[in-house]
Amino acid sequence: MSDFPPRWLDSRVRMARFLRNAMNHIFPDHWSFMLGEIAFYAFGILVITGTFLALFFKGSSLKTIYHGPYHPLDGVQVSAAYQSVLHLSFGVPAGLLIRQMHHWAADIFIGAIIAHMARIYFTAAYRRPREINWLVGVTLLFLALVNGYLGYSICGDLLSGAGLRIGYAIMLSVPVIGPWLTFLALGGTVPVNTTVPRLYALHIFLVPALISVLLAVHLGIIWRQLHTNYPGPQRTDDTIVGSRLWPSYTLKSLGLFLLLFGVVAGLGGLVQIDPVWIYGPYNPAAILPGAQPDWYLGWVEGAMRLFPGINLHLGHWLIPEVFFPGALFPILVFLLLYSYPWIDKLISLDTREHNVLRLPRQQPFNTAFGCSVLVFVLILLIAGGDDVVVTAMGKSVVAFRDLLRWLVFVAPALTFCVVYGICRGRAMPTSSPR
Amino acid sequence: MSDEREKSTEAGAAFFLGGVLGWLARGLGRPSQRVTLPASPQEIASLPNRPGQSTPKNTESVRDCGCAERRRAADRSLDPVGINLIRRERSGAFLVVLLFAAAMGGSIGFLVTYWTGGSNQMLGGTLTLFFGGLGAAAVIWAHNLTANKEAVGPRERGDAAEAHNAAAETFAEGTRDIQRRKMLAWMSAGGAGLFGAMVLSAFRSLGLSPDTSLYTEVWKRGQRLMTVDGKPVRVDALTPGSTTIVFPEDSVGSEKAQTVLLRVDPDLLRLPRQRVGWAPMGNLAYSRVCTHAGCSVGMYETTSHQLMCPCHQSTFDVLNGAEPTGGPAARPLPQLPLYADNDGILRAAGGFSEPPGPGFWGMPS
Amino acid sequence: MPIQPEKVRARRNRFGLGVVLLFALSATVCIPGADAQTQSLNPAGTPSNPSATPQPLPGVTVFAQHCAVCHGQQGEGRSALISIAGPSLQAEHDLNHVLGAIREGRGVMPGFATTLRAQDIQDVAGYVTRGLATIPLQGGNIGEGGELYSMYCAACHRTAARGGALAFVGVNAPDLMNKSPAVVAGAIRWGPGPMPAFPATVLNDQQLDSIVQYVSYVQHPAKPGGITLNWYGPVAEGVGAWVFVFVLGGFTMWIEKGGKG
Repeated sequence: MSDFPPRWLDSRVRMARFLRNAMNHIFPDHWSFMLGEIAFYAFGILVITGTFLALFFKGSSLKTIYHGPYHPLDGVQVSAAYQSVLHLSFGVPAGLLIRQMHHWAADIFIGAIIAHMARIYFTAAYRRPREINWLVGVTLLFLALVNGYLGYSICGDLLSGAGLRIGYAIMLSVPVIGPWLTFLALGGTVPVNTTVPRLYALHIFLVPALISVLLAVHLGIIWRQLHTNYPGPQRTDDTIVGSRLWPSYTLKSLGLFLLLFGVVAGLGGLVQIDPVWIYGPYNPAAILPGAQPDWYLGWVEGAMRLFPGINLHLGHWLIPEVFFPGALFPILVFLLLYSYPWIDKLISLDTREHNVLRLPRQQPFNTAFGCSVLVFVLILLIAGGDDVVVTAMGKSVVAFRDLLRWLVFVAPALTFCVVYGICRGRAMPTSSPR
Repeated sequence: MSDEREKSTEAGAAFFLGGVLGWLARGLGRPSQRVTLPASPQEIASLPNRPGQSTPKNTESVRDCGCAERRRAADRSLDPVGINLIRRERSGAFLVVLLFAAAMGGSIGFLVTYWTGGSNQMLGGTLTLFFGGLGAAAVIWAHNLTANKEAVGPRERGDAAEAHNAAAETFAEGTRDIQRRKMLAWMSAGGAGLFGAMVLSAFRSLGLSPDTSLYTEVWKRGQRLMTVDGKPVRVDALTPGSTTIVFPEDSVGSEKAQTVLLRVDPDLLRLPRQRVGWAPMGNLAYSRVCTHAGCSVGMYETTSHQLMCPCHQSTFDVLNGAEPTGGPAARPLPQLPLYADNDGILRAAGGFSEPPGPGFWGMPS
Repeated sequence: MPIQPEKVRARRNRFGLGVVLLFALSATVCIPGADAQTQSLNPAGTPSNPSATPQPLPGVTVFAQHCAVCHGQQGEGRSALISIAGPSLQAEHDLNHVLGAIREGRGVMPGFATTLRAQDIQDVAGYVTRGLATIPLQGGNIGEGGELYSMYCAACHRTAARGGALAFVGVNAPDLMNKSPAVVAGAIRWGPGPMPAFPATVLNDQQLDSIVQYVSYVQHPAKPGGITLNWYGPVAEGVGAWVFVFVLGGFTMWIEKGGKG
C-alpha cells in the first residue's frame, strides 16, 4: 500500500509522469540553499495567521469608545480598527498569540529574504539564465516591504499613525506629482476615514495576491531551470547533483517548516511585539519618540535622520529635503538592485550561461561591493534607531548622529578595500570555474 | 516580580531544552559512511533521463506509464554517486520517539492552556514544543532513518541552439504571414498608449485631486486659541517656561491646525522685525506639525528654548521664529501672529506665516 | 524777680500731666497689641481683631531655615543646573511619608533626626502636608491620563514612561519608574530644569491626577505579550528578529549537515 497515493491520484487525473518526475527532481544539498525556503514558509505562516486575524480585524477609522477587558483604556475614544485589535488581543482566546506570531513572522520573512538575496548575490546566482528570477525576487522583496508597512499601519495606534504621517510627507515631497500621488493613494491629509480601509484592502488582498503569483513564478523558474550547484565533484554546467525530492528533500524541508513554525510560535508567545495597548490610540495631537518603522524600513528612516536639511528651490518650485533620503534614495537602491545582473556582465565581461556558482572569493569586486553595501545599510539601520541606542547608552543624540554621518561613508569604503584585498589574496584561479 | 520570574523560567527552560535536543541531534546528524562509486562523464552523458532526474532503483512505479520504450530506458543504469548507509538507526529511532512524545506533550499542554484560558506565554511555549519536536523529528528522520542517495542528473542548457531555433522559426514563419506589419505595429502602439492613458485617468476616481487644503494657512484673523477641551486661553494663562497645545475655534483636534503655544520672557525674544508684534507678553505660537516629515513637534526644552521633534530629532529655536538649529528639517515652523483682545483672550492676528506641514512641489514660499 | 511757688507748682503739674498723658497714649497703642496676641493664642477661638494678620503655621521658620534652600520657598521645587536639587512638595499629602523623609533622608536629601527636635519635625511635616501641599490628587481617571500623557509627556518621557532621548547635549528626560505620585504631580506643575511647566490653566487638577494615575500604572503595567524588551519598540524587535534569523540559519546548517552543495 505504500504506493497508494500516486495510484489514487493518477487513476483520476493521470498525473503519473508528472509525479514521477517531480519526485525524482534533484535539489542540491547545502544549507545556504534553504534560506529562500525559510522566507517561503514564513510567507505561508503569514497567510495562515493572517487569515485568522482577518476574521476579527475591522479596517475602519470610525470613532468609537473603548469598553473592554483592558481597563487603562476604558472610556477612551479609539478607532474601530484599534478597538478590533484590542478585542483580538484581550478578548479572543489565543488572539494575542496569533497576532504576535503574525508580526514576528513578518519580521523574520523579510530577514530571510535579505539573507537569501545576499546568498544569491555573493554566489553570483543571478547570472544567465537566472536574470529573470533575480528581477522577480527583487520585486518580491519590494512587495514584502510594502506589505509589512501596510500591515502595521492599519492598527490605528499612535506608533503606526506617526509612521503614516511620515509616509504621507515622503509621498508629498515627490516633485511634480507628489500632491496628486498623495491624494490618490491616501485620499487626502492623513489620517482620513478612507485611509485605513484602503490600506487594509491592499494589505490582505492585492499585495499578497501579487506576492503569491510572483512566488509561483519564482519557484516555477527554479524548477524549470534546476537549482545551481556549488563547485565540487561531478558538478558542471551540464549536470546537477543533490538529493531527490522524495523522500530526502521532503523530509528536510518539512523539518525546516516545522522548526520555523516552532520559532515563530515561541516568539509569538514569549516575546512581546507591537504592544498597541501601551502606545495608545492614534491622536493627531500626540506623538512618541522611538517612532521607528519596523526594522526593514529602518534604512530609509536612518537616511532621513542623517540627511541634512537641504531644500532645492527651482524658481517658484520646491523640492523638500525629505524627498532625497525618503523617496529618491530607495528608488535608486532598487534601480541598482534590478540592474545588477547587467552591471555584473559589464564588469566581468561574462555573458555565458552558468549553472555552477561562483564562490565569493572568486569575484573580488562583487564581494567587496556587496560587503560595503551591507555595512552601509547596517549603519543606516543603526542611524534609524539612533534615539533608542542613545537612550540605552545614555549619550547625546547630536554627537551620535554626527559620528554616523561621517561613518556612513567611511566604513563602507574601508570595508570595500579590506574585503577586496582579502578576496584577491585568497582567489583561486578564475580561468576555469569548476 | 514573581510573574517575571515565572516567565523567564519558562523561557529559560525552553531554551535549555532546545539546546539539549540540538546538541543530541547534532551528534546524530553526522552523515555516516558514504560509499562513492565513481562515474565517468560518458556514463553521465549517456543517462537517458529527463533533465534533472535520476532513475530510481526500482521500476515498479513506471508500470503504468504505458510505454515499453520508456520502461526499458528506466531499467537501465542507476544512481552512480553516493549511497550512504544507514547508521545509528536505533538511536535515531529512539530520539525520534522522544521528540514525538515531547511534541504530544506540547500539544496536550496547548489544549489544556487554551481551554482553561491560560497565559499567552504558555500557549506559545507549548506550541513551540509541539512544532519544534515534530520538526526536529522530521530532520532526524531525514538524517538517520532515510537512505540518502546523492543523485546526479543532466541539465538541459538554455543556450542550446536547437531549442531556440524551433520556436524562433515558428515565430518568424507566422510573422511573415501577417501583411503590413509596420502599420499594425504602429497602430498597436498607439492603441496601447491611449488605453494606458484611459486607465491612468481612471485613477482619479479613487481620490480627490489636491484641493486648497494643501495651501491654506489654516487660521483666520480673530479666531480664539482653544485648548483641546475647548476652552479659550488668556494672555496671562501660561507662565514663562510653560507650554500647551491649542487649535482654532472651528477645528479643535485637527491634525493640520495644531499649534504649540508657549510663553517666554519677552526680553529674550529675537524675532524678525516684522514679527515683533506677534508675541504679546512673550506668548509665542508655532505650528506643531514638523516641516520635515509631519510629526507633532512635542518636545520643548526650557533652558535653551528649543522645540524638538521626536521623530528625526529636528530642533527649532523658539526665540527667533522657530528657525531649525539642528537635525534634518530645512524650514522653520510657521509662526502664528497673536494679539490679546479686550478681555485678555488670545486671538490669532492672521494665518500661519506659511502653510503648515512638510514641504511639497508648488508650495507657496 | 523771685519765682512764685504757685506758678512753679502749676508748671510742674502741667508737665507731669503731659508725661502722664504721654504714657497713657502709648499704653493705648501697646496694650491692644498685647491683647490681640493673647487673643490669637487663645485656643477657645475668641474673635480676634479683624484687622490683625493670621498667624502662620508652626514649622514655617524651621522650613525656611532648613528646607527652602533645596525645596524652594513655597515648596515648589528647585533645580540645580540640569538636575533637581529638591523636588516639589506641592502634592505631598502623606504625613507619614513626609515624616520618614525628614527623619531618615531620601537619596541625596540628608536626614534631620539628629539635627532637629522631634517637635520641629512634626511641625514641619504638618506645615508641608497642610500648608504647602496645594495640589489635590483626586478626580482623575486613567483613560484620560493616557490620552494626556501621549499629547504632553510621551514625546520626552517615552512609551510607558521609560525615559527618552533628547537632542540637547547633556539633557535627558528621566524614566519615571521610581517616582511617587506626589513627585510626578509636583514636577508637572513646576517644570524642573529643562522640563516645561504645566500650570493649572493648562492642565487642571483633575487632568493632573489622571496623568499621575496613568504614570503610576505604567511603572508596572500588565505584560500580556511577554518579554517587553524595555518597551524600546521596533528597534529591539528588529534585533530580536535577526537573532532568530541567524538561529534559523543554524537550523539549516544542521539540516543540511554534510551537504556539499
